[in-house]
Amino acid sequence: MKPIIEVKHLYKKYRIGRILPYYTLSDILAELYKKPLNLFKRKKIGIDGLYEDEFWALKDVSFNVCRGEAIGIIGKNGMGKSTLLKILCRITPPTKGEIRLRGKVASLLEIGTGFQQELTGRENIYLNGAILGMKQKEIKKKFDEIVDFAEIEKFLDTPVKHYSSGMYTRLAFAIAAHLDPEILIVDEVLAVGDTSFQKKCLEKMESTTREGRTVIFVSHNMEAVSDLCSKAILIRNGSIVVMGGTEKVVRLYKQENLDTSAKIHL
Amino acid sequence: MKEIIIRPKPKWQLVDLEEIWRYRELLYIFTWRDIKIRYRQTLLGVIYVIFQPVVNMIIFTVFFGNLAKIPSGNLPYSLFVLIGLVFWNFFSGALARASDSMVSNESMIKKVYFPKIILPFSVIVTFFFDLIINFLLLIIFAVILGYPPNFWILVVLPFSVLISGCTIAGASLFLSSLNVKYRDVRNVLPFLIQIILFLTPVIYPLSIVSGRNQHLMALNPMTSVVEAMRMVFQKNPVFNPILICISVFSALLILYFGLWYFQKTERYFADIV
Repeated sequence: MKPIIEVKHLYKKYRIGRILPYYTLSDILAELYKKPLNLFKRKKIGIDGLYEDEFWALKDVSFNVCRGEAIGIIGKNGMGKSTLLKILCRITPPTKGEIRLRGKVASLLEIGTGFQQELTGRENIYLNGAILGMKQKEIKKKFDEIVDFAEIEKFLDTPVKHYSSGMYTRLAFAIAAHLDPEILIVDEVLAVGDTSFQKKCLEKMESTTREGRTVIFVSHNMEAVSDLCSKAILIRNGSIVVMGGTEKVVRLYKQENLDTSAKIHL
Repeated sequence: MKEIIIRPKPKWQLVDLEEIWRYRELLYIFTWRDIKIRYRQTLLGVIYVIFQPVVNMIIFTVFFGNLAKIPSGNLPYSLFVLIGLVFWNFFSGALARASDSMVSNESMIKKVYFPKIILPFSVIVTFFFDLIINFLLLIIFAVILGYPPNFWILVVLPFSVLISGCTIAGASLFLSSLNVKYRDVRNVLPFLIQIILFLTPVIYPLSIVSGRNQHLMALNPMTSVVEAMRMVFQKNPVFNPILICISVFSALLILYFGLWYFQKTERYFADIV
């Protein structure tokens, strides 16, 4: 059987050196006035054809994921984990390479995306469900389950702006947990919420994989990764260092961390 | 299950209607959200929607109709200007909000995948509801003044909605994409809209403009929308087919350009927004 996710030689280039991610027309005009040639004058450096203000956030990343597998992606901050997820979720395009997804994808890069402060919990369940790709019918069917899971029955008709942060998180995760995708992509979202709720979320995700769905999970919580994932990928500087059994990869990652902290102590 | 292939450059397609259809519920729910939030925050609710054209009508009637004595053909000036304002408010309101739609939904664009084209579309649909309310008000007002609409309304109304819809969609797709990269679009826009108001025969009739300039003004599709709408309330309506053709052509061109520019830049929104 073909793998459900196939990533082949994926590259992503970003530009740095700009203070603002976006500009105003007047900035451009001012810059043009000061240094008229600047816009055309960018130095190429390096063998990989980068300009001086560019870098590879991902460099030649390839891997396959089979149906029903849970894969943990680990690595330090700024190493390209989130970029990889963003490309997998089709939020941003790759610069080179190709991904083939053979199943319906749902992603959870941030909890409560598109929550509307003015609307009630009930309304936000429908709104957020739709944003994450659920049909209204599906949401209706799962509505009670979602409310149960989030433990917010009493506050269903209160605008979410009056929710405590715990309630907010629980509701957001509950909606996402009841998506029924074939591929679930989850970024570090469990850092919020108390331990008992975190445990509940992990259990929910485990049952998801037991049902034959595929989970891609990014986390700094090694315990959670070990519990949930059979395989893991370690990413450093935009490239895959190792992919294999979770235990081995986590050990390697901890070793790596130990080395850097040792350096700091020296 | 269809395979999804992610590549640096997808196959060229001006607009993926199939995908929009698959996400139709999202379009519906965005619209519903906008309407709900708007009416929840403003106590005045529906009154707020008719407030603007009515107040504008009164002011314009006093200053342009009574004092400046701008001609209004066979129609009383108040009705004459209200017809223009009803469609003008649809155009200007939807254009302003839709052009901001990418930036104001920034957090969503960065975190989930969905066809972003839905954002400006849902704004247009939201304002379409306001248009319906305002149009009913217009009909009531016209009937009270003794100018009931003639049968042309059956042709002109869908035509006007379609042409202004195309124009708003095209223009706001372009402006909302541009706004992602250059944030001062937001500041320039109110000024731009004000200029278009004077280039649209809302407060004056097109007939006071010379023939050649009429053709130029028809490049603004709203010109024909307003002019045609006025014919609906005349006893003997006369349409100018050349002007209408120019406007239809122009509206389609604007729509095409907007879709093209949006399609070209859309994929990188998450990186810059």
